[in-house]
Amino acid sequence: MAGKSSDQRRATDALYASMTSVFEAAGAEFIEPDILQPADVFLERSGEHIRSRTYVFTDPSGAELCLRPDLTVPACRYHLEHAGDVAAPARYCYAGKAFRHSTQAGNSPVREFDQIGLEIFGTGNSARDDAEVLALTLSALKAANVAEYKIELGDLGLFNALLASLDMPDRWRTRLKRQFWRPRAFRDLLNQLSGKTQKQRTSISTLLDEMAASDLDAVGFVEQRIEALELEMIAGRTVEQVAGRLSEKLLDRSDPPLSPEQAELIDHYLSIRSAPAEALAQLQQIAAATNGAFTEAVETFAARIEAMKAAGLAVDCMEFAAVFGRSLEYYTGFVFQIDLPSPDGSTRNIAGGGRYDTMLADIGAPDMIPAVGSAIHASRLLLPGQVVT
Amino acid sequence: MTRSLTLALPSKGRLREMAETMFARAGFQIVRTGSARGYSGEIRGLSNVDVAFLSASEIAKALRDGTVDLGVTGEDLLRETIAPSQLVVDVVLRLGFGPADVVIAVPESWLDVAFVSDLDQVAAEFYETHGRRLRVATKYLALTRRFFAANGVTGYRIVESLGATEGAPASGAAEIIVDITTTGSTLKANRLKVLDDGLILRSEAVLAARQEVLSQPVVKNLKTRLELAI
Repeated sequence: MAGKSSDQRRATDALYASMTSVFEAAGAEFIEPDILQPADVFLERSGEHIRSRTYVFTDPSGAELCLRPDLTVPACRYHLEHAGDVAAPARYCYAGKAFRHSTQAGNSPVREFDQIGLEIFGTGNSARDDAEVLALTLSALKAANVAEYKIELGDLGLFNALLASLDMPDRWRTRLKRQFWRPRAFRDLLNQLSGKTQKQRTSISTLLDEMAASDLDAVGFVEQRIEALELEMIAGRTVEQVAGRLSEKLLDRSDPPLSPEQAELIDHYLSIRSAPAEALAQLQQIAAATNGAFTEAVETFAARIEAMKAAGLAVDCMEFAAVFGRSLEYYTGFVFQIDLPSPDGSTRNIAGGGRYDTMLADIGAPDMIPAVGSAIHASRLLLPGQVVT
Repeated sequence: MTRSLTLALPSKGRLREMAETMFARAGFQIVRTGSARGYSGEIRGLSNVDVAFLSASEIAKALRDGTVDLGVTGEDLLRETIAPSQLVVDVVLRLGFGPADVVIAVPESWLDVAFVSDLDQVAAEFYETHGRRLRVATKYLALTRRFFAANGVTGYRIVESLGATEGAPASGAAEIIVDITTTGSTLKANRLKVLDDGLILRSEAVLAARQEVLSQPVVKNLKTRLELAI
């Protein structure tokens, strides 16, 4: 499709205005973030899987730029540059193009698509804001005459809290959190930490044996080894970092594995997939077997459900899944996704969002600023049969 | 009457020599046509096959785009150029020459790093320390992305390298590399080590064909006779 005709453009503009006006009526400032963005902000934060889909190029001055693959980060950058007080509450909405290279084979890859979104920064009541973002997103979809959909919810804070309340070395928590996104790698790691898989000798096992038997401390041992092998510390790492990780590997050899009960609690949590009320009951069951941090996170979850009901949302029709959000790396808490059923039985994702409390600090805000937002895949609303004018 | 097929053969280097030797052993005499320096030819006795001489990487692209039907090239280039999901080209025969492993290598001084999972942790540590992602120098962009994604490494970025990749960690152009190695001596000379589970692809020269020509008699004929010449 080489562009839109006059009629298509008018229909699109009207449809988008019907949605953004819902956000504006809720106090959001309608902004237009830059299309061209500095590449590093995206590439350093989202990793190679986004980079491989992002249009990156070098301009004549040598600056590395990209076409925005998404509008959330551009909206964050807008906020940091324009807000007088970046920590003060702010609401933004936008409607604009995002650009992603499609790696899918087959006909006509989608390279540019329209995204309509809402971001709420810097307020203190996260349960209320989470509920409001979802409610406003649904109102915007309603304004676009989309009424039949499926809503999936997740909460990344619950998983972190569960790990915090289980007794284990901190480094294991870090590793489990990092692998949460990758189901297979997570399973392997959990089996390894709970002693279910046999430990195998590796190319550094002998080195670890010698380190364990050495009189030197870890740093001294590594220094001596580096010198004996006539190596240099290169590529941005220090002797201390290498020694630190080797020491952890030694500790992994001696620390007791996760107990079967602990592994069972993690498995139980990850298996939860049901309506929010029933999910809450199961979460409370797990909370009874753990300590404080998880209980608190479950209370946050319960408060959010209450706030959603108060906002008039049909919570019982939604589904909560503990593993939902696995593929969305920058989110930190509440996540949601809205799918349209297709006549052929498959579903089509049309909107999604969530809480990303670390993003603004990560790209330059002096302190952590709470943030929650949503994005509507507006181009998908314009497929045949979806537009009601 | 079927149209004649185009077979792409390497135009230079060791791959060319090995391919021509093998074709000769299989009884296929390759003749260059046109001017003496021409880039086209034919095979004596196979009247319905045209030969195009291209560089090994051009052969992979030509197979992907369908401008040739058959080709001899490195499996590494084939996998790099054509995603598995594209389902347009099949390996007909592994030819047993041009062995090369595509591997992940890190500085030998990283005594604590043995596995891809270590790499993921080091990438996180690197981001904490330097505020930027670990850089991987490679010419295998697609192979690297696919392998890292499948193995749960995310905190990195690729720096495209078009030569002397093994020098990147020492020169500061990148921290680690993904490159081909045959004997490992170049890696060793640059004080790099291959991760225990860092083998991305065990590559060798292959005869590959577009899927739509796989069932043609001439492809089967080539396969049968080349098989005996390996």
